[in-house]
Amino acid sequence: MVPTKMRPTLCRYGPAMIYRLAIACLILLTAHPALSGEDVEHWAFQPVERPPLPEVNNKAWIKNPIDFFILARLENADLQPAPPAATGDLQRRLHDDLIGLLPGPNDEFVSPQITIHQLMAKPQYGERWARHWLDVVRYADSNGLDENAAYANAWRYRDYVVQSFNSDKPYDRFLLEQIAGDLLTARDDAQKHENLIATGFLSLGPKVLAEPDKTKMEMDIIDEQIDTLGRALLGITLGCARCHDHKFDPVPTADYYALAGIFKSTTTMDSLKTIAKWHENSLATPEENRLKQNHDALISAQQQVIATFIKKSNQQLLVEQKLKELPPQPEEKYPKAARDELAGLQETLKRLQADIPKLPFAMGVVDGKVTDLPIFVRGNYETPGELQRRHFPRALTTGRVQPIGDNVSGRLELARWIASEQNPLTARVMVNRVWRWHFGRGLVATTDNFGKLGAEPSHPELLDWLTSWFIENSWSIKKLNGLILNSATYQMSGQASLAAMERDPNNQLLSRAPLRRIEAEPLRDSLLQISNLLDPKRGGYVWTFPNFELVFNHTSEDATTYVSNRRSIYLPVIRNHVYNLFELFDFPDPSTVTGHRNSSTIAPQGLFLMNSPFVLRTTAALATRLMNEESVDRDQRLERLYALVYQRTPSERESKNGLAFVDRFSQVHNGKDGDRDSSAAWQALCQVLVSSNEFLYLR
Amino acid sequence: MISRRDILKKTALGFGSIALTSLLEEQALAEKPLEPKTPHLVPRAKRVIFLFMKGGPSQVDTFEYKPQLQRDDGKELPFAKPKVTFAPTGHLLASPWKFTRHGQCGHYVSELFPQVAKHVDDICFLHGLHGTNPAHGGASLKLHTGADNFVRPSMGAWISYGLGTENANLPAFVTICPTLGHGGVNNWGGAFLPADYAGTPISNASVPAKHARMHHITNPQWTLAEQRLQLDFLKQLNREQVGNIIHSDLESRIHSFELAFRMQTSMPEIQEIGDESETTHKLYGLDNPVTEDFGRQCLLARRFCERGVRFVQVTHSDGKVQWDQHSDLRHGHAEKASEVDQPIAGLLEDLKTRGLLNDTLVVWSGEFGRTPTVEGSNNDGRDHNPWGFTMWLAGGGVRGGTSHGATDEYGFYARQGKVHIHDFHATLLYLLGIDHKKLTYRHAGRDFRLTDVFGNVVHDIIT
Repeated sequence: MVPTKMRPTLCRYGPAMIYRLAIACLILLTAHPALSGEDVEHWAFQPVERPPLPEVNNKAWIKNPIDFFILARLENADLQPAPPAATGDLQRRLHDDLIGLLPGPNDEFVSPQITIHQLMAKPQYGERWARHWLDVVRYADSNGLDENAAYANAWRYRDYVVQSFNSDKPYDRFLLEQIAGDLLTARDDAQKHENLIATGFLSLGPKVLAEPDKTKMEMDIIDEQIDTLGRALLGITLGCARCHDHKFDPVPTADYYALAGIFKSTTTMDSLKTIAKWHENSLATPEENRLKQNHDALISAQQQVIATFIKKSNQQLLVEQKLKELPPQPEEKYPKAARDELAGLQETLKRLQADIPKLPFAMGVVDGKVTDLPIFVRGNYETPGELQRRHFPRALTTGRVQPIGDNVSGRLELARWIASEQNPLTARVMVNRVWRWHFGRGLVATTDNFGKLGAEPSHPELLDWLTSWFIENSWSIKKLNGLILNSATYQMSGQASLAAMERDPNNQLLSRAPLRRIEAEPLRDSLLQISNLLDPKRGGYVWTFPNFELVFNHTSEDATTYVSNRRSIYLPVIRNHVYNLFELFDFPDPSTVTGHRNSSTIAPQGLFLMNSPFVLRTTAALATRLMNEESVDRDQRLERLYALVYQRTPSERESKNGLAFVDRFSQVHNGKDGDRDSSAAWQALCQVLVSSNEFLYLR
Repeated sequence: MISRRDILKKTALGFGSIALTSLLEEQALAEKPLEPKTPHLVPRAKRVIFLFMKGGPSQVDTFEYKPQLQRDDGKELPFAKPKVTFAPTGHLLASPWKFTRHGQCGHYVSELFPQVAKHVDDICFLHGLHGTNPAHGGASLKLHTGADNFVRPSMGAWISYGLGTENANLPAFVTICPTLGHGGVNNWGGAFLPADYAGTPISNASVPAKHARMHHITNPQWTLAEQRLQLDFLKQLNREQVGNIIHSDLESRIHSFELAFRMQTSMPEIQEIGDESETTHKLYGLDNPVTEDFGRQCLLARRFCERGVRFVQVTHSDGKVQWDQHSDLRHGHAEKASEVDQPIAGLLEDLKTRGLLNDTLVVWSGEFGRTPTVEGSNNDGRDHNPWGFTMWLAGGGVRGGTSHGATDEYGFYARQGKVHIHDFHATLLYLLGIDHKKLTYRHAGRDFRLTDVFGNVVHDIIT
């Protein structure tokens, strides 16, 4: 019997668990009057325990443990899972999920297992999955909010995320680096730099850089860090506790300021003076530093030479021309030879100055002066209350916790506390995110809120089973991807039976594959891919904008262009003015943590597909690609088009209709006696195909 | 061809399922998010035109007369300045402009706004406005979204969410030539609200109003007839490809292309103002290069409103922070006022003549006002002032010829009839028939409001 109750109750946990909980309640109740027993009873705050696999009837359907949990619930509702997806649909889905591109017309599909394995080994996997993470950590290349200054070094963090996904860095390690990379010991310079870059996570947020109240600015930046940390990594809204005890979750204000102390003891900003400047860590190797020092020495030496030369020449001028004092521009009065020599010296200096080696820097943090903060009553720093020793939220802390020492910020301890299998939230939240990125909806629909106001898990046992499996499998995202994608659950078709329509109308039980619209990046990248325009280059700085400079302040001219044919993840993300294509197709607001992107259907998307220069450019290139293929007749050309866009052959009816469209369009476009097979008409057809539901949706 | 809805209806009837029927209703709503909705209360206004004066016009040089400031020019402010200010300021600086009484109500207006002054009997001045943030970005975000350190939906987005649009061929919220600076898109964005409710920008402030167009509204390559062929074929493909997968998104997608196609004619038609009389052109100052740009924006605002758009924002801004006179107030404010005075007066008059002013609320405001104390090395500028400034409202259920609240004797702090930005938002929604406490949207487990946990309706100013 499968429990149908959505909310897990105490009785599902063993006696040991109940005992632990009772103790925890007691401790909390005595230590913190703000917390009630009910607070800590909330399902998400319970330790993760691996539940047994439920009993099912239709054992033949099962491919892996995930399926037990899904099927049990379906059978309980007297439903059967949808039949397996058509091979083409599944192949398309896997490509979109793992690399964000279309299958090539020649890509062989031997088995799902092999395809999954092959796709995860491609470098494009990291480009696809890093973007998910960048949504969560509100990645952007500019500050946004009031003074939109360029984060010209943010890309290093982006590339770090791509590499981390490609190398399948264990998720716990990944978090350690992002919260406290600067405090980890590194085996070499390369790892040290990687760790420093990772802390960009804490610095990438939007900041009110012109805030005149500097104490408020500092506390706002800390608040943004705590809020992001809470929602991105733990799925709780810690930020609420800045002004009052959290109304719903067990986070009293005291806990907030105990956490804030950790960030107050961390240096995120170098200067708060308007316009404030964030801290960047040097990534220069000793060799690069030496080169820079040498170069600087060369410059000052040359300046010395010039100064000496001028001094000497001025002396000569006074003596030779018998002057009492120097004229206003003495250099102009020098003899020609001296003037030429000076010009030569200055030219050399100019060349040296233009050629200063640029040292690499990365946004990030380091430890600052260790400070405890008092509670600021109602969030106002002018009404300080009791001093709070730096520590972690008490209600979420089970087991033994290493206390924070007097001489450290506590950030490393915080990182260890978060990236720990003891932490009931960290792994659960991430497993749920990964599920969301595969199915379009999390087992917990509110991916960034596991608190009391968040949604209840639709399959609580499955979530816990996956979480403990994930931890046992070294927090490997790729293994988790593989497990989910190899399940019969994932490989169902989207076809709904009438019974499923009735008893699982919203597909909460997963009686079929969810229909998903492709996201902004796969849409753009696929169009570039089929039109043969995609630039496969990986990583690096694509945007060219000087660091710290305002991307468009006071003026509304945005100099950023998006004409590059690089993959979408490499395009700049400009807060306050996100690239139009992205914005239209539900790219998240890059100032907030987003684990669940919307999927909207709005008329401006239609206008984009009908009229945008991007779609016209790519469909024109696609038509040219088709027209340029030699010795191909019209039927074959249509087959080629279908293979590229839909990865299938057209039916006879589709061929007939498609070619009839080309004829009709040619007639209207070129006149009655014009070309009946023009490139323009083929482009018009390409445009229709890439605007169709079959292209825009994953079945 | 059987539509998805038909299939659903049939199965729903056949099985008599309540779940399915309610699903149908839910989906019908989701398919038409901008369907006009019934407000909570009796609405006094049906639509809003927001005239945003970017940079912060000075209240003591425009609409709030302070005789004592005129008398005490050069003296020290006799009370403390705020602890945190944007820039340091010195002694009191009298307004260089004369104030005279106007209209039946006898409200004082400075010589900067001779044309608007003629309409004081239709205007309700809020002299006790105050906000929280003394920098442009924060103040602008606060005014537009109610929040200055988080990204939240803008007031126009909340209003489209609350009321929908009266014209299915147009967006509910349009912003003409908005500035990208100081919050940029977030000032008209929908944040976590569904994408349907975000403002539709008509270019941005770097483009002259004459050339401003909605994104992708025209096709450089195909004629409308050619596009019709494409869309007909697209519809056919979509119907045939649907197979056994039934989902409201697929049906909505088909509708969205049809709406996009109709917008291609409905949007440019609004911007082709050739059908307006010469008198109207003149009324808005289109015949004068100084007023032409802002005048065109105001005229477009009226045309959008006439066609059922709920919220139109007009922004007085170009490559500069328009009203931001930290120095050279005399020249700067005179120039800015001359650009907007005639167009605003023209808009008010035109709305009145057409009977639109009764249910159209016109809002005039900057993100803050300016200090009565002097700033700048030449002693000729004023600093930002979010502690007390003037906003005015006209039409749409507010009592014309009145003023509400006041700053202190010099114009620094709001003292009486204080109206916080949150109170303004609550009042704005109230005038539109919306209870600001009931208009909520659940996001990340919390019910959000435009007014957060604040906001009191200013009942005194409502008819």
